[in-house]
Amino acid sequence: QSTIKWRMQTYAGPALAAHVIDPAIEMFNKIAGDRMQIELFYADQLVPTGELFRAMQRGTIDAVQSDDDSMASPTDVTVFGGYFPFASRYSLDVPVLFNQYGLNEIWDEEYSAVGVKHISAGAWDPCHFATKDPIRSLADLKGKRVFTFPTAGRFLSQFGVVPVTLPWEDIEVAVQTGELDGIAWSGITEDYTVGWADVTNYFLTNNISGAWAGSFFANMDRWNELPEDLQTLFRVCCDQSHYYRQWWYWGGEASLRVDGTKMELTTIPDAEWAQVEEAAIKFWDEIAAESPTKAKVVEIIKKYNADMQKAGRPYRYG
Amino acid sequence: MIGVMLSYVRVVDAVNRRVGRIMMYGLFVMMAILLWSSISKTFFLPSLWTLEMAQFAMVAYYMIGGPYAIQMGSNVRMDLFYSGWSVRRKAAIDAFTVFFLIFYLGVLFYGGLGSTAYSLGYWGTEPFSFFGGLLTGSEEIGRLERSSTAWRPFIWPVKALMILGIFLMLLQAVAEFFKDIARLAGHDIPEAAI
Amino acid sequence: MSQENIALFMFATMLLLLLTGQRVFGAIGAVACIAALALYGTGGQDIPFAAAMKLMKWYPLLTLPMFIFMGYVLSESGLADDLYAMFHVWFGQMNGGLAIGTIGLMVLISAMNGLSVAGMAIGATIALPELLRRGYDKRMVTGVIQAGSSLGILVPPSVVLVLYAMIARQPVGQLWLAGIVPGLMMAAMFVVYIWLRCRIQPELGPALPDAGDVPRAEKIRLLGAGVLPLLIFAAMMVPFVNGWTSLVESSAIGALTAFFAAVAKGRMSWKVFETSTRQTLGISCMFMWIILAALGFGAIFDGLGAVRAIDSLFTEQLGLSPWMILILMQLSFIIMGTFLDDTAMLVIVAPLYVPLVGALGFDLIWYGVLYTITTQIAYMTPPFGYNLFLMRAMAPPEIGLRDIYVSIIPFVGVMVVALVILMAFPQIALWLPDYVYGK
Ligand code: NA
Ligand code: NA
Repeated sequence: QSTIKWRMQTYAGPALAAHVIDPAIEMFNKIAGDRMQIELFYADQLVPTGELFRAMQRGTIDAVQSDDDSMASPTDVTVFGGYFPFASRYSLDVPVLFNQYGLNEIWDEEYSAVGVKHISAGAWDPCHFATKDPIRSLADLKGKRVFTFPTAGRFLSQFGVVPVTLPWEDIEVAVQTGELDGIAWSGITEDYTVGWADVTNYFLTNNISGAWAGSFFANMDRWNELPEDLQTLFRVCCDQSHYYRQWWYWGGEASLRVDGTKMELTTIPDAEWAQVEEAAIKFWDEIAAESPTKAKVVEIIKKYNADMQKAGRPYRYG
Repeated sequence: MIGVMLSYVRVVDAVNRRVGRIMMYGLFVMMAILLWSSISKTFFLPSLWTLEMAQFAMVAYYMIGGPYAIQMGSNVRMDLFYSGWSVRRKAAIDAFTVFFLIFYLGVLFYGGLGSTAYSLGYWGTEPFSFFGGLLTGSEEIGRLERSSTAWRPFIWPVKALMILGIFLMLLQAVAEFFKDIARLAGHDIPEAAI
Repeated sequence: MSQENIALFMFATMLLLLLTGQRVFGAIGAVACIAALALYGTGGQDIPFAAAMKLMKWYPLLTLPMFIFMGYVLSESGLADDLYAMFHVWFGQMNGGLAIGTIGLMVLISAMNGLSVAGMAIGATIALPELLRRGYDKRMVTGVIQAGSSLGILVPPSVVLVLYAMIARQPVGQLWLAGIVPGLMMAAMFVVYIWLRCRIQPELGPALPDAGDVPRAEKIRLLGAGVLPLLIFAAMMVPFVNGWTSLVESSAIGALTAFFAAVAKGRMSWKVFETSTRQTLGISCMFMWIILAALGFGAIFDGLGAVRAIDSLFTEQLGLSPWMILILMQLSFIIMGTFLDDTAMLVIVAPLYVPLVGALGFDLIWYGVLYTITTQIAYMTPPFGYNLFLMRAMAPPEIGLRDIYVSIIPFVGVMVVALVILMAFPQIALWLPDYVYGK
């Protein structure tokens, strides 16, 4: 019997992928051995990230790791991928939302409808600003050209932020060549890992989301062709990757804030930042009005956050 | 036969020349967008759309302007042997190798059609039948693909421009083939100037 | 077939097809498509077009038509005539002086355009006839123009460095600054060579006793011609290096400045305008279609695992030291450059080499300069070289193919020496960007 070969592309460039995906794929390949091998490609390598979804649907690529938003999935849940403003506070919120509050089922339905298998969702880091000039008040956001997620960009533009979308790998250079004033795409761990800390000077401690939500996907036919044990193995490796990121980011964020030397921390006072949080609630309602599915997801997010509030410390403070 | 070919060449050359002569001023469209980008950034709020718009303009510029560039002979060839050959010999070899070019353009065209169909909400694997269906009314436009930027323009117009450009390129490549055939048949057709 | 063999096969087929003289982008694209259909299975047919989407998002390529247009405005409007006159009166009286002046001319032109095409055109139309008329040796002159014009891609602005920047993911600003000193150094080495050669064989570049016979005031006035290029250069570079405008915006400003300079000097006729605009389309299309095809080729090549195969060949199987690998890479670049198109070479080969260079611990800014000089050499060396090709097209009949081929030998020699010096002393390239961007 010949070895099953999969091509998988991630939205991440090599430096980041070394943490968020390489170990999981290496593990998969080691265990699956002659039965199956996955070859991993990085951001924009085989196809540009914007074409990832279609390439997977068509079978040019067999599997993908990305958030729904960056790969522009043609589904109603796409806006919730990446950083949906203020939907989560901690990275554990994401798996809870998916596993216990019903998002898995909604995602599964949405993606099955477009011929793609949604395998599992996991959390990444919180979303902070890394900029060349300091941000100390909302007024400082005005006119900043910032690389960010499409949905986050839509939300932030009401504060004068000018969202710019470029290929992920070009960001560092774009900051240096003046195309960008900053980045709102990650926490501080990534700023250091991928080199953005070298080209920006300030890190804003307020975040617009506690955790990025992203998933593993596969071409539906390819997935169905896999024997069950390999499907299980694949899921286990995905979970391994989710787990790795839970501690890698959580610990990394704290230690770089404390010990990092490349970026100066700034903060917008809570009272002022509250405006942004309020705006997010309005934004949720705008999104909910767009379709029944979106309304359902927004409702779940609301319910979840209300529950956490009621649960009190350590889930929510104040 | 040669007569038909030559009329084809005349028509295609003329169309692509006109189109190309319009596209060449696209340079100033790009320049204007980029200048507006620096002006708005310096004096007002930076605009959301400039970079992407400039990219679209560039796509139209080089794709749709491409056939005219072929007419001008701007496309380099490795001419180690080629430059030493007689007109006849060049024509004979080109008449064969141009099929590689046509093949490449054909694959590009097919990929472009599929990608454009996708941008119009078709997720199947038969772009031709989708476009055919659009004409006969048996297919409908579905979910329109948007660029994943905050500006979120629809993508189909730029993809449509690309397939138009590739299509014109294909027509031009076929015209080049006919020119070679005519040369072989003894017609005197000037070579592209450099 | 093993992956190495498939990779080899793809390269060999491409080369064969190139040798038939079919358009370069067609040859590359066709091989890409054949490989995609034959080896890739489902969805492979989409990859060549996906490259077009990728290319669209490579926004720094917007600088390409701008820099090309700048060059054509310069060469078509005759703005360079005054520059030539300046060098003529200032250097004409010494042996080889006009040739030395031509190198100076080329340096100034290089500061105003991103390619070497403009330099070639100006050199071949203004300098070449003049030098021949004054009894300069034809081989000397042809070599000077080819070598001098190749500085266009090393001295900023440089399209080749923009391309390299995109592939190596390095900042264009630093790369450009890194090109300045090596560019000037190489120009100086050309000058030294010409000077020495003409001291030994004065008949190669006879002194012109009459050249300096102009009033002092006139001589000084002519120096003013040199100011214009510096102004155009500054209008573009100052806002860019200071971060006031982005790279692509600066390129538009540069193009506009060159345009207005021509208008101000009363040189922007309709014909000049039309020719510059049309030629810009031609050259931009050539570049873009080659890059488009090469990107598709590269993605398929990558998808086959060729990158990994080559990496492991260099690092594990051959077990070479970093410097050995670097030297091998440079050699292979030079060899490929003699018969491959430079742009295709960059887009296809650099993605294999650049990460390796980085992994070996070399500085990628410095390597960009090395790469560019290699490209300059590739431009001039037979059997395939873009400058070579232009020279053949533009040279007057008394200059034969043999002359053109032979003329470059000493200059290529100088360039190889420059390459070696830069490899030994990276600081020559790096101190300026380090200084300006204060690492
Ligand atoms: Na230059
Ligand atoms: Na060459």
